[in-house]
Amino acid sequence: MTPIIRRELLEWMRTRKALALQVGLAAVCAILILVRWPTGGVGELSGARSLEVLRIFGYGALAGILLLAPALPATTLVREKMSGTLALLLNSPLSGQSIYFGKLLASLGFTAILLTMTVPAAAACYALGGTTIRGGVGLLYAILCLAALQVSTLGLLVSSRSQSTDGALRVTYGLVLAVCVLPLAPHWLLQGSEPPLSEIVEWIRGLSPIPAVMEVLGQGDVGSRGMSIGGGAMVRYAVMASLMSVLCALATFSRVNHKMLDRARPAGIMTQDRALGTRIMRRMLFLVDPQRRSRGISRFVNPVMVKEFRTRRFGRAHWILRLVALCAILSLALSYLSATGALGWGLEAIGGALVLLQISLLILFVPSLAGGLISTERESGGWRLLLMTPLSAGAILRGKLMSVVWPLILLLCATLPGYIVMMHLKPTLEVQVYRVVATLVLTATFAVLVSAAASSLFRSTAAATTTSYSALLAICLGPLLIWLGRGAPFGHRAVETILTVSPVAAALHASDTPGFTDYALLPANWWLIAAACLALLTLLVVRTWQLSRPD
Amino acid sequence: MASGDPVVATKDLTKKYGKLVALDRLTMAVERGQILGFIGPNGAGKTTAIKILVGLARPTSGSAQVAGTDCVADPRKIRRLVGYMPDIFGVYDNMRVSEYLDFFGAAFGIRRRERVQRIDQVLETAGASNFKDLYVEALSHGMKQRVAIARTLLHDPAVIFMDEPTNGLDPQARIEMRQLLLDLARRGKTLIVTSHVLPELSHVCDRVAIITRGKLRAFGTQEEVTRQLSPLREMEVLLTGSDRIAQVVEVVRKHLESGASIQSSPAEAVVRFRTARREEELAKLLAALIASGLDVTQFREVQTDLEEAFLTVARSDDNGAAEMGLSKTHGKSKALISEEIKS
Repeated sequence: MTPIIRRELLEWMRTRKALALQVGLAAVCAILILVRWPTGGVGELSGARSLEVLRIFGYGALAGILLLAPALPATTLVREKMSGTLALLLNSPLSGQSIYFGKLLASLGFTAILLTMTVPAAAACYALGGTTIRGGVGLLYAILCLAALQVSTLGLLVSSRSQSTDGALRVTYGLVLAVCVLPLAPHWLLQGSEPPLSEIVEWIRGLSPIPAVMEVLGQGDVGSRGMSIGGGAMVRYAVMASLMSVLCALATFSRVNHKMLDRARPAGIMTQDRALGTRIMRRMLFLVDPQRRSRGISRFVNPVMVKEFRTRRFGRAHWILRLVALCAILSLALSYLSATGALGWGLEAIGGALVLLQISLLILFVPSLAGGLISTERESGGWRLLLMTPLSAGAILRGKLMSVVWPLILLLCATLPGYIVMMHLKPTLEVQVYRVVATLVLTATFAVLVSAAASSLFRSTAAATTTSYSALLAICLGPLLIWLGRGAPFGHRAVETILTVSPVAAALHASDTPGFTDYALLPANWWLIAAACLALLTLLVVRTWQLSRPD
Repeated sequence: MASGDPVVATKDLTKKYGKLVALDRLTMAVERGQILGFIGPNGAGKTTAIKILVGLARPTSGSAQVAGTDCVADPRKIRRLVGYMPDIFGVYDNMRVSEYLDFFGAAFGIRRRERVQRIDQVLETAGASNFKDLYVEALSHGMKQRVAIARTLLHDPAVIFMDEPTNGLDPQARIEMRQLLLDLARRGKTLIVTSHVLPELSHVCDRVAIITRGKLRAFGTQEEVTRQLSPLREMEVLLTGSDRIAQVVEVVRKHLESGASIQSSPAEAVVRFRTARREEELAKLLAALIASGLDVTQFREVQTDLEEAFLTVARSDDNGAAEMGLSKTHGKSKALISEEIKS
């Protein structure tokens, strides 16, 4: 096990990325403390100020762990498989368990190093008073460690079943998001229900680290209302996260052996060659069957765009159609529930939920679709072949961008019926809906350009995808961390300035979502995002031109 | 372009990366329908030269032309004229072979109906018709090579550049590949092929270019190249028996330069020697042997093959490197490698 830990850790610690992460994290923590460190001569005995800082620090640290901890384990096994070194490892005297634990401990080791960089900030919070090592800071670190273990085992499981590094990253981040957010939904919707239903949803909610962190930081519960008080969230999280880690580890154990490499070559059977019954069944299931022998590319269509559609496992037409249908159903269901009074949220809250649904779709899908547009070509050697065709750099770029834009248009359009129902219910919402749609279109453009620009800057698709996700999450959701500390420790003006950067906050403001109406974010956000889009487009065009020039 | 003009021509082609000279005044010409074997050790500058010729790199100085088109001034026209099969395949995940070729056909502007026929043709030519419905990423290395050849031929290029085309192919596929290269040349295509398997090239190439450290060391037909590289010819005299072998050695020594290397093998009943003498002088030696009443069954030149020629260049290159002041260990290790190859 030791040689694997040493190799993995050393390999990572030697990279510039690792250094940048450590320095960046330390710098952010230092800035946070410097901003909130008391400068006056009067001490604050209640500890409220310390708790304010600890909350920001706690949520920031959790976001950092959820963002950074899965990246290494998600790619480690699949990278070995792709480079052919996994066969060498499996052929060595190291057992499957040794390989697994070596990789897991190396990933956790790196996360531990990152967590260590945050210790001075936590110590400063403790020094401010109002929190204890065992009660506040200690428990927070315990949850962070458990969260790191949870997402690392999940990442390794995905890695053992993936065929490409960027695919592994996409699935891992998608699952991390799902594990953190989805378990909160049943509790939110079924608050006040009787046991055993309430017990079950409490335990399901225990899968997400968010309620546990909120409890440690003394902030109650997600979406809690009235007299409802959480409690026991930490214990439930400890049990559920440990259970999930063990299950993930067991599922990965069964894969880390020769079975990972023992895969038959796909027979390549086409639907046209199957029996009539199968053909009919596939037509019903897929609508656009991916295994149907496709017609040649029409001369009026950009061949690069068609190629992009065909090479994406997820971006193929049948997946897009399924997703479009799901979005349309979700959007209409939300509006219907609101209209029939089944949910007493009000139209503004429904609008906010729709905005969050669309933004989640954008953040989840755009980096996975656009993060590898150019880097995948460079990684696989396809870029050189593309340059050998008579296609101009402009045509290549256009085809690639259109291959992302079309699915996005379909996805966003699928969520529009919800807005139409809202406008029908309350015609005065028309202007509000237009503002939301304009913000979303700008956000989608921004997300596509961020991901495409990242893919033109990196040779590795995994690096480009991770950068795209990190940048989008930091810009879209990062400011919401500051918003959490509105009133204290951050003032109205500071929160407003920071929120202006975030397209999510702007969209929530446009839809008059409670909590965002007090801030004047539009049209400043539109101008900011439009300027950023212009800069990113320029960068993308210049990089593509550079890459398509002869050496 | 006149009919007698070379299809591929370079003149003083030089490429520098900072201080490193990757290509040093390369001048050569290849005519229509010829196959040029481009030989050189790793890092010799072969791929750099090919990249300039296909328009993927710009030379620092000098000129390069393909079918009368300047590679630097008109790279877009060059793309239609040449087919390039690089040393890496360029896989697209989740794509079937037919879709893969369909994409490249569309990128080259081949009309859909014509494209379908063309894909079948090139797959047939490359012996890859059975792979049509398979996923590209699932193919073995040899199968990918065949698909890459099909892709290279798709737009019917006049000049084809192939970087290690036989890499990963099984023996039967190698023989088929040789046939394919000869077929293409017969159809008037000009081929520039690099390979490390030199006997393979010797079977198909009309011209050979040996390049080391960016410099062209030898260029011409195989015979010309071996002559350029090794002025001494190796001759063999075969006898009916070994009893008069000493007498043969004596006669040979009288007719050769002083200090010439002569070896006899009584077990084989053969005498071998290396000489720079011309045909007429060798004819005199044969006459002398017969006049002495020696029972000579064969008097012939031992053909120096491409491998031998390449090793001669590699060895002289090692000596050059040593003279240039490269470290002793480096020179020693390279010499050792040469010895190993030789043995």
